[in-house]
Amino acid sequence: MTAMRVIRTLLFAIAFAFVAAPAGADDANPAASAFMQSLGSHAIKELTDPAVAQSERQARFRMLLDEHFDMGAIAKFTLGRYWRTATDEQRTEFRTLFEDFIVQSYSARFSEYHGQGFAVSGSNATDGGTIVVHTRIDMPSSEDVRVDWHLRKTDSSFAIVDIVVEGVSMAVTQRSEFASVIQSRGGVAGLLDALRAKNAQSADSSAAQQ
Amino acid sequence: MLHSPALRTAALQPRGVLVRTHRVAVQRAARLAALLVGLILLGGCATPPSNDPEALEAYKEANDPLEPMNRYFFELNYAADELLFKPLAGWYYVALPNFAQDGVRNVLRNVRSPVVLANDLFQGETDRAGVTVSRFLVNSTMGIGGLFDIASRMGLEYHDEDFGQTLAVHGVGEGPYLMLPLLGPSNPRDAAGRVVDMLFDPLTYIGIFAVDNIGLGAAVVDGVDTRARNLKTLDEIRKGSLDYYATIRSLYRQRRNDEINNGKTPEGGAPGLGDDQQSARPAGYAQVSAAEPLVPRRPKLAKALPLFIIKEPAGPLPALPQP
Repeated sequence: MTAMRVIRTLLFAIAFAFVAAPAGADDANPAASAFMQSLGSHAIKELTDPAVAQSERQARFRMLLDEHFDMGAIAKFTLGRYWRTATDEQRTEFRTLFEDFIVQSYSARFSEYHGQGFAVSGSNATDGGTIVVHTRIDMPSSEDVRVDWHLRKTDSSFAIVDIVVEGVSMAVTQRSEFASVIQSRGGVAGLLDALRAKNAQSADSSAAQQ
Repeated sequence: MLHSPALRTAALQPRGVLVRTHRVAVQRAARLAALLVGLILLGGCATPPSNDPEALEAYKEANDPLEPMNRYFFELNYAADELLFKPLAGWYYVALPNFAQDGVRNVLRNVRSPVVLANDLFQGETDRAGVTVSRFLVNSTMGIGGLFDIASRMGLEYHDEDFGQTLAVHGVGEGPYLMLPLLGPSNPRDAAGRVVDMLFDPLTYIGIFAVDNIGLGAAVVDGVDTRARNLKTLDEIRKGSLDYYATIRSLYRQRRNDEINNGKTPEGGAPGLGDDQQSARPAGYAQVSAAEPLVPRRPKLAKALPLFIIKEPAGPLPALPQP
Protein backbone atom coordinates (compact mmCIF):
# COMPACT_ATOMS: atom_id res chain seq x y z
CA MET A 1 0.00 0.00 0.00
CA THR A 2 2.81 2.34 0.82
CA ALA A 3 4.33 1.66 -2.55
CA MET A 4 1.02 2.51 -4.20
CA ARG A 5 0.87 5.73 -2.33
CA VAL A 6 4.37 6.67 -3.35
CA ILE A 7 3.61 5.94 -6.97
CA ARG A 8 0.44 7.97 -6.85
CA THR A 9 2.29 10.87 -5.31
CA LEU A 10 4.93 10.59 -7.96
CA LEU A 11 2.40 10.60 -10.78
CA PHE A 12 0.64 13.55 -9.27
CA ALA A 13 3.87 15.44 -8.94
CA ILE A 14 4.90 14.71 -12.49
CA ALA A 15 1.53 15.72 -13.85
CA PHE A 16 1.73 18.86 -11.82
CA ALA A 17 5.20 19.64 -13.05
CA PHE A 18 3.87 19.73 -16.60
CA VAL A 19 0.94 21.93 -15.72
CA ALA A 20 3.07 24.31 -13.73
CA ALA A 21 5.94 24.40 -16.18
CA PRO A 22 6.39 27.98 -17.33
CA ALA A 23 5.78 28.73 -20.96
CA GLY A 24 8.93 29.29 -22.97
CA ALA A 25 10.59 32.55 -22.02
CA ASP A 26 10.07 35.44 -24.40
CA ASP A 27 12.98 36.82 -26.25
CA ALA A 28 11.94 40.26 -27.43
CA ASN A 29 15.40 41.25 -28.48
CA PRO A 30 17.53 38.35 -29.71
CA ALA A 31 20.39 40.69 -30.59
CA ALA A 32 20.63 41.86 -26.99
CA SER A 33 20.47 38.27 -25.77
CA ALA A 34 23.25 37.26 -28.11
CA PHE A 35 25.31 40.22 -26.94
CA MET A 36 24.92 39.18 -23.30
CA GLN A 37 25.58 35.53 -23.98
CA SER A 38 28.85 36.28 -25.68
CA LEU A 39 29.89 38.97 -23.19
CA GLY A 40 28.95 36.75 -20.26
CA SER A 41 30.98 33.76 -21.42
CA HIS A 42 33.87 36.02 -22.30
CA ALA A 43 33.79 37.82 -18.94
CA ILE A 44 33.61 34.60 -16.94
CA LYS A 45 36.61 33.26 -18.79
CA GLU A 46 38.58 36.48 -18.36
CA LEU A 47 37.76 37.31 -14.77
CA THR A 48 37.26 34.11 -12.85
CA ASP A 49 40.46 32.28 -13.67
CA PRO A 50 42.00 31.71 -10.23
CA ALA A 51 45.48 31.66 -11.74
CA VAL A 52 45.25 35.30 -12.79
CA ALA A 53 46.92 37.84 -10.51
CA GLN A 54 44.67 40.36 -8.86
CA SER A 55 46.24 43.32 -10.65
CA GLU A 56 45.73 41.65 -14.00
CA ARG A 57 42.14 40.84 -13.08
CA GLN A 58 41.52 44.46 -12.21
CA ALA A 59 42.98 45.60 -15.51
CA ARG A 60 40.76 43.18 -17.42
CA PHE A 61 37.70 44.21 -15.45
CA ARG A 62 38.39 47.88 -16.14
CA MET A 63 38.65 47.15 -19.84
CA LEU A 64 35.31 45.37 -19.81
CA LEU A 65 33.75 48.27 -17.93
CA ASP A 66 35.04 50.86 -20.37
CA GLU A 67 34.06 48.86 -23.37
CA HIS A 68 30.65 47.48 -22.44
CA PHE A 69 29.21 49.64 -19.66
CA ASP A 70 27.82 53.13 -19.97
CA MET A 71 29.87 54.36 -17.03
CA GLY A 72 28.90 58.00 -17.62
CA ALA A 73 25.21 57.24 -17.28
CA ILE A 74 25.79 54.97 -14.28
CA ALA A 75 27.88 57.56 -12.47
CA LYS A 76 25.24 60.19 -13.08
CA PHE A 77 22.50 57.91 -11.81
CA THR A 78 24.35 56.95 -8.65
CA LEU A 79 24.89 60.58 -7.74
CA GLY A 80 21.14 61.06 -8.11
CA ARG A 81 19.80 64.47 -7.30
CA TYR A 82 23.24 65.66 -6.27
CA TRP A 83 24.42 65.49 -9.86
CA ARG A 84 22.61 68.76 -10.50
CA THR A 85 24.26 70.63 -7.67
CA ALA A 86 27.75 69.22 -8.26
CA THR A 87 30.24 71.44 -10.07
CA ASP A 88 31.83 70.33 -13.34
CA GLU A 89 35.09 69.53 -11.59
CA GLN A 90 33.25 67.47 -8.99
CA ARG A 91 31.42 65.52 -11.69
CA THR A 92 34.63 64.77 -13.53
CA GLU A 93 36.41 63.69 -10.39
CA PHE A 94 33.44 61.65 -9.27
CA ARG A 95 33.42 59.70 -12.52
CA THR A 96 37.06 58.80 -12.14
CA LEU A 97 36.80 57.90 -8.46
CA PHE A 98 33.60 55.97 -9.04
CA GLU A 99 35.16 53.76 -11.68
CA ASP A 100 38.18 53.06 -9.48
CA PHE A 101 35.85 52.27 -6.61
CA ILE A 102 33.85 49.80 -8.70
CA VAL A 103 36.96 48.13 -10.05
CA GLN A 104 38.51 47.70 -6.63
CA SER A 105 35.49 46.66 -4.66
CA TYR A 106 34.10 44.25 -7.24
CA SER A 107 37.05 42.66 -8.95
CA ALA A 108 38.23 40.71 -5.90
CA ARG A 109 34.92 38.88 -5.84
CA PHE A 110 35.33 37.32 -9.24
CA SER A 111 38.10 35.00 -8.17
CA GLU A 112 35.59 33.08 -6.07
CA TYR A 113 33.25 32.37 -8.90
CA HIS A 114 35.27 30.23 -11.20
CA GLY A 115 33.55 27.77 -13.41
CA GLN A 116 29.98 28.93 -13.37
CA GLY A 117 27.72 28.46 -16.27
CA PHE A 118 25.98 31.48 -17.68
CA ALA A 119 22.70 31.09 -19.53
CA VAL A 120 20.52 33.70 -21.16
CA SER A 121 16.85 32.92 -20.75
CA GLY A 122 15.13 35.78 -22.51
CA SER A 123 14.81 39.51 -22.89
CA ASN A 124 12.22 42.23 -22.96
CA ALA A 125 11.97 45.94 -23.47
CA THR A 126 11.03 48.35 -20.69
CA ASP A 127 9.04 51.56 -20.82
CA GLY A 128 12.20 53.52 -20.18
CA GLY A 129 13.68 52.39 -23.48
CA THR A 130 16.18 49.99 -21.99
CA ILE A 131 16.33 46.32 -22.80
CA VAL A 132 16.46 43.76 -20.01
CA VAL A 133 18.26 40.50 -20.67
CA HIS A 134 17.51 37.76 -18.15
CA THR A 135 20.23 35.32 -17.25
CA ARG A 136 20.95 32.66 -14.72
CA ILE A 137 24.36 32.09 -13.33
CA ASP A 138 24.89 28.59 -12.16
CA MET A 139 26.77 28.51 -8.87
CA PRO A 140 28.62 25.32 -8.05
CA SER A 141 27.87 25.32 -4.34
CA SER A 142 24.43 26.88 -4.20
CA GLU A 143 21.32 27.60 -6.17
CA ASP A 144 21.33 29.46 -9.46
CA VAL A 145 21.48 33.19 -9.20
CA ARG A 146 19.06 35.21 -11.28
CA VAL A 147 20.74 38.20 -12.91
CA ASP A 148 19.04 40.79 -15.12
CA TRP A 149 21.16 43.03 -17.31
CA HIS A 150 19.77 46.40 -18.29
CA LEU A 151 21.09 47.50 -21.66
CA ARG A 152 20.92 50.64 -23.71
CA LYS A 153 21.16 50.48 -27.47
CA THR A 154 24.22 52.19 -28.86
CA ASP A 155 25.08 52.94 -32.48
CA SER A 156 26.78 49.67 -33.11
CA SER A 157 25.95 47.47 -30.14
CA PHE A 158 24.68 47.66 -26.54
CA ALA A 159 25.93 49.22 -23.32
CA ILE A 160 25.11 47.93 -19.84
CA VAL A 161 23.50 50.49 -17.54
CA ASP A 162 22.57 48.31 -14.55
CA ILE A 163 22.91 44.81 -13.17
CA VAL A 164 20.09 43.43 -11.06
CA VAL A 165 20.94 40.38 -8.98
CA GLU A 166 17.96 38.59 -7.44
CA GLY A 167 16.02 41.82 -7.61
CA VAL A 168 18.81 43.91 -6.15
CA SER A 169 20.01 46.67 -8.44
CA MET A 170 23.68 47.59 -8.25
CA ALA A 171 22.95 51.13 -9.35
CA VAL A 172 20.15 51.68 -6.82
CA THR A 173 22.21 50.20 -4.00
CA GLN A 174 25.15 52.39 -4.86
CA ARG A 175 22.97 55.46 -5.15
CA SER A 176 21.42 55.03 -1.75
CA GLU A 177 24.79 54.37 -0.16
CA PHE A 178 26.23 57.50 -1.75
CA ALA A 179 23.21 59.54 -0.66
CA SER A 180 23.78 58.43 2.91
CA VAL A 181 27.46 59.38 2.76
CA ILE A 182 26.64 62.76 1.23
CA GLN A 183 24.14 63.41 4.02
CA SER A 184 26.45 62.47 6.83
CA ARG A 185 29.52 64.16 5.38
CA GLY A 186 27.91 67.38 4.35
CA GLY A 187 27.78 67.30 0.59
CA VAL A 188 29.34 65.93 -2.57
CA ALA A 189 32.79 67.08 -1.47
CA GLY A 190 32.46 64.75 1.52
CA LEU A 191 31.58 61.83 -0.75
CA LEU A 192 34.61 62.54 -2.93
CA ASP A 193 36.82 62.54 0.18
CA ALA A 194 35.37 59.22 1.29
CA LEU A 195 35.86 57.67 -2.14
CA ARG A 196 39.42 58.93 -2.35
CA ALA A 197 40.23 57.47 1.07
CA LYS A 198 38.52 54.16 0.26
CA ASN A 199 40.30 53.77 -3.05
CA ALA A 200 43.67 54.51 -1.49
CA GLN A 201 42.99 51.97 1.25
CA SER A 202 41.91 49.27 -1.22
CA ALA A 203 44.97 49.94 -3.37
CA ASP A 204 47.19 49.56 -0.32
CA SER A 205 45.65 46.31 0.79
CA SER A 206 45.76 44.75 -2.66
CA ALA A 207 49.38 45.86 -3.03
CA ALA A 208 50.14 44.26 0.33
CA GLN A 209 48.70 40.97 -0.88
CA GLN A 210 51.01 40.75 -3.83
CA MET B 1 19.94 33.07 30.02
CA LEU B 2 22.12 30.32 31.15
CA HIS B 3 23.11 32.63 33.92
CA SER B 4 19.61 32.70 35.26
CA PRO B 5 19.42 30.44 38.29
CA ALA B 6 15.70 29.99 37.79
CA LEU B 7 16.20 28.59 34.34
CA ARG B 8 19.11 26.45 35.24
CA THR B 9 17.09 24.82 37.94
CA ALA B 10 14.11 24.49 35.68
CA ALA B 11 16.15 22.52 33.25
CA LEU B 12 16.81 19.92 35.89
CA GLN B 13 13.31 19.67 37.20
CA PRO B 14 10.06 18.12 36.14
CA ARG B 15 7.78 20.02 33.85
CA GLY B 16 5.50 21.66 36.37
CA VAL B 17 8.19 24.04 37.39
CA LEU B 18 8.34 25.47 33.92
CA VAL B 19 5.22 27.48 34.45
CA ARG B 20 7.02 29.75 36.81
CA THR B 21 9.93 30.30 34.48
CA HIS B 22 7.50 31.30 31.75
CA ARG B 23 6.34 34.08 33.98
CA VAL B 24 9.89 35.13 34.63
CA ALA B 25 10.56 35.20 30.95
CA VAL B 26 7.47 37.25 30.23
CA GLN B 27 8.45 39.76 32.86
CA ARG B 28 11.91 39.94 31.47
CA ALA B 29 10.63 40.42 27.94
CA ALA B 30 8.33 43.16 29.13
CA ARG B 31 11.24 44.89 30.79
CA LEU B 32 13.28 44.61 27.62
CA ALA B 33 10.42 46.02 25.55
CA ALA B 34 10.10 48.94 27.97
CA LEU B 35 13.80 49.58 27.63
CA LEU B 36 13.57 49.61 23.86
CA VAL B 37 10.65 52.02 23.86
CA GLY B 38 12.61 54.20 26.25
CA LEU B 39 15.61 54.18 23.95
CA ILE B 40 13.46 55.19 21.01
CA LEU B 41 11.91 58.06 22.95
CA LEU B 42 15.28 59.14 24.28
CA GLY B 43 16.60 60.68 21.14
CA GLY B 44 16.62 57.55 19.05
CA CYS B 45 14.86 59.64 16.45
CA ALA B 46 16.65 61.59 13.80
CA THR B 47 15.33 65.09 13.33
CA PRO B 48 14.17 65.73 9.80
CA PRO B 49 16.20 68.48 8.16
CA SER B 50 13.94 71.50 7.88
CA ASN B 51 15.78 74.10 5.82
CA ASP B 52 17.39 72.12 3.02
CA PRO B 53 14.97 70.65 0.47
CA GLU B 54 17.61 68.29 -0.95
CA ALA B 55 18.36 66.93 2.49
CA LEU B 56 14.68 66.59 3.27
CA GLU B 57 14.19 64.62 0.07
CA ALA B 58 17.06 62.31 0.99
CA TYR B 59 15.62 61.90 4.47
CA LYS B 60 12.27 60.82 3.08
CA GLU B 61 13.87 58.45 0.62
CA ALA B 62 15.87 56.71 3.31
CA ASN B 63 12.63 56.24 5.28
CA ASP B 64 14.66 55.68 8.41
CA PRO B 65 13.52 58.09 11.12
CA LEU B 66 15.05 55.88 13.81
CA GLU B 67 18.42 55.87 12.11
CA PRO B 68 20.55 56.73 15.17
CA MET B 69 19.02 53.90 17.17
CA ASN B 70 19.13 51.55 14.19
CA ARG B 71 22.80 52.27 13.65
CA TYR B 72 23.43 51.56 17.30
CA PHE B 73 21.80 48.13 17.07
CA PHE B 74 23.54 47.51 13.77
CA GLU B 75 26.87 47.95 15.52
CA LEU B 76 25.79 45.66 18.35
CA ASN B 77 24.64 43.02 15.89
CA TYR B 78 27.89 43.30 14.05
CA ALA B 79 29.84 42.74 17.24
CA ALA B 80 27.69 39.74 18.18
CA ASP B 81 28.20 38.35 14.71
CA GLU B 82 31.96 38.69 14.86
CA LEU B 83 32.21 37.23 18.34
CA LEU B 84 29.68 34.45 18.18
CA PHE B 85 27.65 33.77 15.09
CA LYS B 86 30.35 34.01 12.47
CA PRO B 87 32.75 31.64 14.25
CA LEU B 88 29.91 29.19 14.84
CA ALA B 89 28.95 29.31 11.19
CA GLY B 90 32.59 28.90 10.25
CA TRP B 91 32.87 25.68 12.22
CA TYR B 92 29.68 24.37 10.73
CA TYR B 93 30.93 25.21 7.26
CA VAL B 94 34.20 23.40 7.83
CA ALA B 95 32.83 20.44 9.75
CA LEU B 96 29.98 19.44 7.45
CA PRO B 97 30.46 18.44 3.83
CA ASN B 98 28.35 20.30 1.27
CA PHE B 99 25.83 17.52 0.74
CA ALA B 100 25.18 17.37 4.49
CA GLN B 101 24.60 21.11 4.61
CA ASP B 102 22.16 20.80 1.74
CA GLY B 103 20.39 18.00 3.58
CA VAL B 104 20.02 20.21 6.63
CA ARG B 105 18.54 22.97 4.57
CA ASN B 106 16.22 20.65 2.69
CA VAL B 107 14.79 19.26 5.92
CA LEU B 108 14.27 22.73 7.36
CA ARG B 109 12.53 23.90 4.22
CA ASN B 110 10.34 20.85 4.17
CA VAL B 111 9.05 21.32 7.70
CA ARG B 112 8.35 24.94 6.92
CA SER B 113 6.00 23.99 4.08
CA PRO B 114 2.80 24.75 6.06
CA VAL B 115 3.93 28.34 6.54
CA VAL B 116 4.69 28.76 2.87
CA LEU B 117 1.44 27.05 1.87
CA ALA B 118 -0.67 29.24 4.13
CA ASN B 119 0.87 32.36 2.67
CA ASP B 120 0.58 31.10 -0.91
CA LEU B 121 -3.13 30.72 -0.26
CA PHE B 122 -3.50 34.06 1.49
CA GLN B 123 -2.02 35.67 -1.58
CA GLY B 124 -4.34 33.78 -3.91
CA GLU B 125 -1.40 32.04 -5.57
CA THR B 126 -3.06 28.71 -6.15
CA ASP B 127 -0.44 27.47 -8.62
CA ARG B 128 2.32 28.12 -6.18
CA ALA B 129 0.30 26.56 -3.39
CA GLY B 130 0.08 23.46 -5.56
CA VAL B 131 3.83 23.47 -5.99
CA THR B 132 4.29 23.73 -2.24
CA VAL B 133 1.96 20.79 -1.59
CA SER B 134 3.55 18.66 -4.29
CA ARG B 135 7.02 19.44 -3.05
CA PHE B 136 6.05 18.46 0.46
CA LEU B 137 4.53 15.16 -0.69
CA VAL B 138 7.42 14.24 -2.95
CA ASN B 139 10.21 15.26 -0.63
CA SER B 140 8.65 13.75 2.48
CA THR B 141 8.35 10.37 0.78
CA MET B 142 10.91 9.91 -1.96
CA GLY B 143 13.12 12.54 -0.41
CA ILE B 144 13.20 10.56 2.83
CA GLY B 145 11.62 12.99 5.23
CA GLY B 146 12.78 16.00 3.27
CA LEU B 147 16.44 15.14 3.33
CA PHE B 148 16.70 15.20 -0.46
CA ASP B 149 15.07 17.79 -2.64
CA ILE B 150 13.80 15.40 -5.29
CA ALA B 151 10.99 17.77 -6.20
CA SER B 152 13.38 20.41 -7.57
CA ARG B 153 14.72 17.89 -10.03
CA MET B 154 11.17 17.33 -11.19
CA GLY B 155 10.74 21.00 -11.91
CA LEU B 156 8.98 21.81 -8.65
CA GLU B 157 11.28 24.52 -7.47
CA TYR B 158 11.33 25.84 -3.96
CA HIS B 159 9.88 29.24 -3.22
CA ASP B 160 9.55 31.11 0.00
CA GLU B 161 6.59 33.04 1.32
CA ASP B 162 5.91 34.73 4.61
CA PHE B 163 3.17 36.80 6.16
CA GLY B 164 5.11 40.04 5.71
CA GLN B 165 4.88 39.41 1.96
CA THR B 166 1.21 38.54 2.28
CA LEU B 167 0.54 41.84 4.02
CA ALA B 168 2.46 43.66 1.29
CA VAL B 169 0.48 41.93 -1.45
CA HIS B 170 -2.67 43.19 0.23
CA GLY B 171 -1.39 46.73 0.25
CA VAL B 172 0.16 47.14 3.69
CA GLY B 173 3.13 49.50 3.54
CA GLU B 174 6.44 48.55 5.06
CA GLY B 175 6.71 51.44 7.51
CA PRO B 176 10.01 52.83 8.67
CA TYR B 177 13.18 50.77 8.52
CA LEU B 178 13.99 48.92 11.72
CA MET B 179 17.21 47.28 12.78
CA LEU B 180 16.18 44.75 15.39
CA PRO B 181 18.67 43.69 18.02
CA LEU B 182 19.94 40.21 17.05
CA LEU B 183 17.19 39.74 14.50
CA GLY B 184 18.60 42.12 11.92
CA PRO B 185 17.01 44.35 9.30
CA SER B 186 13.23 44.60 9.31
CA ASN B 187 10.29 46.96 9.41
CA PRO B 188 7.00 46.91 11.32
CA ARG B 189 5.18 45.01 8.59
CA ASP B 190 7.74 42.23 8.28
CA ALA B 191 8.27 41.97 12.02
CA ALA B 192 4.54 41.51 12.56
CA GLY B 193 4.48 39.00 9.72
CA ARG B 194 7.04 36.82 11.46
CA VAL B 195 4.84 36.59 14.54
CA VAL B 196 1.92 35.42 12.41
CA ASP B 197 4.10 32.90 10.58
CA MET B 198 4.95 31.26 13.86
CA LEU B 199 1.29 30.38 14.21
CA PHE B 200 1.49 28.37 10.99
CA ASP B 201 4.71 26.71 11.87
CA PRO B 202 4.10 23.21 13.19
CA LEU B 203 7.39 23.37 15.05
CA THR B 204 5.96 26.09 17.24
CA TYR B 205 3.40 23.64 18.55
CA ILE B 206 5.67 20.66 18.74
CA GLY B 207 7.87 22.86 20.82
CA ILE B 208 5.04 23.60 23.17
CA PHE B 209 3.20 20.30 23.51
CA ALA B 210 5.65 17.49 22.95
CA VAL B 211 9.37 17.90 23.15
CA ASP B 212 10.65 21.22 24.24
CA ASN B 213 12.79 23.21 21.87
CA ILE B 214 12.24 21.54 18.55
CA GLY B 215 11.44 24.92 17.11
CA LEU B 216 14.39 26.52 18.81
CA GLY B 217 16.73 23.81 17.63
CA ALA B 218 15.52 24.17 14.06
CA ALA B 219 15.87 27.92 14.21
CA VAL B 220 19.39 27.70 15.56
CA VAL B 221 20.45 25.23 12.90
CA ASP B 222 18.77 27.29 10.21
CA GLY B 223 20.53 30.42 11.39
CA VAL B 224 23.92 28.77 11.43
CA ASP B 225 23.37 27.16 8.03
CA THR B 226 22.27 30.44 6.52
CA ARG B 227 25.16 32.36 7.96
CA ALA B 228 27.59 29.73 6.76
CA ARG B 229 26.35 30.19 3.22
CA ASN B 230 27.17 33.88 3.41
CA LEU B 231 30.51 33.95 5.10
CA LYS B 232 32.43 35.42 2.21
CA THR B 233 29.67 37.43 0.64
CA LEU B 234 28.99 39.55 3.67
CA ASP B 235 32.66 40.20 4.24
CA GLU B 236 33.05 41.33 0.66
CA ILE B 237 30.07 43.61 0.91
CA ARG B 238 31.42 45.21 4.02
CA LYS B 239 34.86 45.69 2.55
CA GLY B 240 33.41 47.18 -0.60
CA SER B 241 31.16 49.66 1.19
CA LEU B 242 31.64 53.26 2.15
CA ASP B 243 28.63 53.04 4.43
CA TYR B 244 27.89 49.42 5.30
CA TYR B 245 24.73 50.30 7.21
CA ALA B 246 23.22 52.21 4.28
CA THR B 247 24.19 49.42 1.88
CA ILE B 248 22.47 46.76 3.98
CA ARG B 249 19.41 48.94 4.34
CA SER B 250 19.11 49.27 0.60
CA LEU B 251 19.79 45.59 -0.02
CA TYR B 252 17.15 44.52 2.48
CA ARG B 253 14.46 46.69 0.93
CA GLN B 254 15.19 45.71 -2.63
CA ARG B 255 15.37 42.07 -1.76
CA ARG B 256 12.06 42.18 0.09
CA ASN B 257 10.38 43.93 -2.82
CA ASP B 258 11.68 41.27 -5.15
CA GLU B 259 10.30 38.56 -2.89
CA ILE B 260 6.96 40.31 -2.63
CA ASN B 261 6.76 40.42 -6.42
CA ASN B 262 7.85 36.80 -6.56
CA GLY B 263 10.85 37.73 -8.64
CA LYS B 264 8.80 39.36 -11.36
CA THR B 265 9.35 42.88 -12.52
CA PRO B 266 6.46 44.84 -11.12
CA GLU B 267 5.82 47.03 -14.18
CA GLY B 268 4.35 44.12 -16.02
CA GLY B 269 7.49 43.01 -17.76
CA ALA B 270 9.97 40.23 -17.48
CA PRO B 271 8.07 37.03 -17.12
CA GLY B 272 10.89 34.76 -18.23
CA LEU B 273 12.44 34.03 -14.90
CA GLY B 274 9.35 34.58 -12.95
CA ASP B 275 9.47 31.86 -10.39
CA ASP B 276 11.49 32.98 -7.58
CA GLN B 277 14.26 31.09 -6.53
CA GLN B 278 15.39 32.40 -3.46
CA SER B 279 18.83 32.89 -2.53
CA ALA B 280 20.37 36.21 -2.26
CA ARG B 281 19.24 37.51 1.00
CA PRO B 282 21.31 40.50 1.65
CA ALA B 283 19.97 41.07 5.07
CA GLY B 284 22.95 40.04 7.00
CA TYR B 285 22.28 39.49 10.58
CA ALA B 286 18.77 38.27 10.40
CA GLN B 287 19.68 34.66 9.94
CA VAL B 288 22.46 34.83 12.35
CA SER B 289 20.36 35.71 15.25
CA ALA B 290 19.03 32.22 15.35
CA ALA B 291 22.31 31.14 16.74
CA GLU B 292 21.20 32.17 20.14
CA PRO B 293 22.46 30.46 23.21
CA LEU B 294 21.33 26.90 23.50
CA VAL B 295 19.31 26.88 26.63
CA PRO B 296 17.62 23.74 27.76
CA ARG B 297 13.90 24.11 28.26
CA ARG B 298 13.65 27.61 27.00
CA PRO B 299 10.46 29.36 28.03
CA LYS B 300 7.88 29.78 25.34
CA LEU B 301 8.17 33.46 24.71
CA ALA B 302 11.91 33.47 24.50
CA LYS B 303 11.80 30.37 22.38
CA ALA B 304 9.62 32.11 19.90
CA LEU B 305 12.15 34.81 19.18
CA PRO B 306 14.58 32.83 17.05
CA LEU B 307 11.71 31.71 14.86
CA PHE B 308 11.35 35.25 13.68
CA ILE B 309 14.32 34.80 11.58
CA ILE B 310 13.72 31.65 9.69
CA LYS B 311 15.01 32.91 6.41
CA GLU B 312 17.62 32.12 3.98
CA PRO B 313 20.03 34.85 3.28
CA ALA B 314 22.16 35.60 0.52
CA GLY B 315 23.61 33.16 -1.76
CA PRO B 316 26.74 34.32 -3.31
CA LEU B 317 26.08 37.39 -5.35
CA PRO B 318 28.56 38.06 -8.05
CA ALA B 319 28.54 41.73 -7.40
CA LEU B 320 26.72 42.07 -4.15
CA PRO B 321 27.68 42.81 -0.66
CA GLN B 322 26.59 41.55 2.74
CA PRO B 323 27.60 41.52 6.36
